[in-house]
Amino acid sequence: MSTIIIGMGNPVLSDDSVGIKVAQVLGHALQARPDVETRELWAGGLRLMEALKGHERAIIIDAITTDGGKPGSVYTLKPSDLRQSRNTCSAHDAGFQEAMELGAMLGLNLPSHITLWAIEADDVETFGENLTRDVERAVPTVVAGVMRQLALEQQLPAAGGGGSI
Amino acid sequence: MKRITINPITRLEGHGKIDIFLDEHGNVANTYFQVPELRGFEQFCVGRPAEDMPVITNRICGVCPEAHHLASVKALDQLFGVEPPPAAKKIRELFYMAFFVTDHTTHFYALGGPDFILGPDAPPAERNILGVVKKVGLEVGKQVIDCRARNHHVIEMLGGRSIHPVAGVPGGWSKPVSAAERAEIETIASQNVEFALFTLKVFDQIVLGNPVYLDLVLSDVYHHRTYSMGTVDEQNRLNFYDGKIRVVDPDGREFLKYEAADYARHIAERVEPWTYLKFPYLREIGWKGFVDGKESGVYTATPLSRLNAADRLATPLAQEQFERFYQTLGAKTVMGRYQPVHHRLATHWARLIELLYAAERMQELARDPEITCPEIRKIPQSVAGVGVGCVEAPRGTLTHHYVSDDRAILTRVNLVVGTTNNHAAISMSIRKAAEKLIHGFKVVEEGLLNRVEMAFRLYDPCFSCATHALPGAMPLMVNIRSHGGETLKSLRRDG
Repeated sequence: MSTIIIGMGNPVLSDDSVGIKVAQVLGHALQARPDVETRELWAGGLRLMEALKGHERAIIIDAITTDGGKPGSVYTLKPSDLRQSRNTCSAHDAGFQEAMELGAMLGLNLPSHITLWAIEADDVETFGENLTRDVERAVPTVVAGVMRQLALEQQLPAAGGGGSI
Repeated sequence: MKRITINPITRLEGHGKIDIFLDEHGNVANTYFQVPELRGFEQFCVGRPAEDMPVITNRICGVCPEAHHLASVKALDQLFGVEPPPAAKKIRELFYMAFFVTDHTTHFYALGGPDFILGPDAPPAERNILGVVKKVGLEVGKQVIDCRARNHHVIEMLGGRSIHPVAGVPGGWSKPVSAAERAEIETIASQNVEFALFTLKVFDQIVLGNPVYLDLVLSDVYHHRTYSMGTVDEQNRLNFYDGKIRVVDPDGREFLKYEAADYARHIAERVEPWTYLKFPYLREIGWKGFVDGKESGVYTATPLSRLNAADRLATPLAQEQFERFYQTLGAKTVMGRYQPVHHRLATHWARLIELLYAAERMQELARDPEITCPEIRKIPQSVAGVGVGCVEAPRGTLTHHYVSDDRAILTRVNLVVGTTNNHAAISMSIRKAAEKLIHGFKVVEEGLLNRVEMAFRLYDPCFSCATHALPGAMPLMVNIRSHGGETLKSLRRDG
């Protein structure tokens, strides 16, 4: 049973990088879990689908901007909602749903269980390596939430078999 | 006056859009193409060590980091006054060809091709890579994914990382190619050549074999006579990695050929009050507005313009296709070379010929005995203080220009990215398609709208680094507005 955690976004575009920053923290925290792989990704669509290949579970962390959303708010979404986050689609090839459907048609081994953690961004138009205040504060919340999710899944009979702490 | 807005929005407040204004008769009065600006890139870079740029600029955009990485290391070669050893240049080019194969393949099957393979009137939900696979067969989907995977593998092997490469350094490359790697890359390159030939055959059967599509390609709706830009080697053959920038006039006569470092002498930028976009044009000709022809400084930098600017291609199979391209589209010759093709939809075909060229060039480089030479770096000894690096990115000529102090700390940064070159041409193409297709308020049917979209999709504009950045699918919104600006009808669909 393997899980892939993908932090998405542009690492030098202020709050757009929040997914990547969360993934970096998780990468350190999960070093003792060989069944969990953590990586960063900057492009969605086919790239994201290709990155998910070969894993049974996936956790994607990305920035999101919603109408009237409060910066720093955290949402957990299902794959059917994925279209709404910033980086899971690609304007140059395919939306995430299309890419996943293509993968399924081609018989690629894609995760059956995908969770998206989305963090409401404030500034996604200024180059910079720092997060804005409220978004920065959301990082530990998401890290803790993902860790909790992983711990729960590890205990589930159907999901926990391969865990080897 | 009524306004129609085509909105390639990305679920964000800030988004690109196309406004089409209608006059009182319902015909097109004007069109505006706008995208939001990302702020502060220059400030972000100034004050940093110049040698950080190859790994910073490749993060600007997740679509063509390889192009930024190479333009950046070439700028640094100059900034540090150091000439990379021959093997380093060849490794850089080899790495770049793997990227070009991936990018051009993906564009055709996922973005450009569906208009032809499924037809311009197919419902948007089918006009995508899934539709292509359903129509052409599952095998083709598998081939596309395999092609991407094997070339991503090469990019990772040579570039050190799969997405944002790190191997390029001023004066060369940081990792030699082993004999085993060379052999593997040669095999992959051969598979790429086969796949490119297969793809051209698909294009042949589906587009060239269909008189309706051929008419569409040749129709006046998608026709513009502008100057064409591309990078050429000393024999005026297309090269993606290095050479001089050549510009030919609409009749095919060489108008300019210059070193990348001289770009500012030849290219000026027009600023319009209604958009953040800058519109580069040929300084010697001048800005005459959004018009084509020899008297207008508007040029394009695309797969089509690159073929137009080159006398020929450097690899045999691609050269055969090059000949066929110009002969099929009825180009005459001038000064011993083909006159440019100005049918903008032919850009899709040109892209596939470039795909074949990139695959063949990759094969040549993989077979070059020098490619495994361990001498791949010349260590910089001094700081020249200015560097301009230029490559052909898939979407047009890409220029990085850095100025530093004597410790190589950056004091100025300017980038002209591929899509930027084409801003004026994209605006003109949208306008012409809209003008030709929209009459007397008849606009809102899906196929018609898609034909307007096709006018900009052929450029595959990348707003990620052109101004920015809003990655995501490209849903479209069309608002038809009355004289007073109120929305009479709104059409929206998701990409």
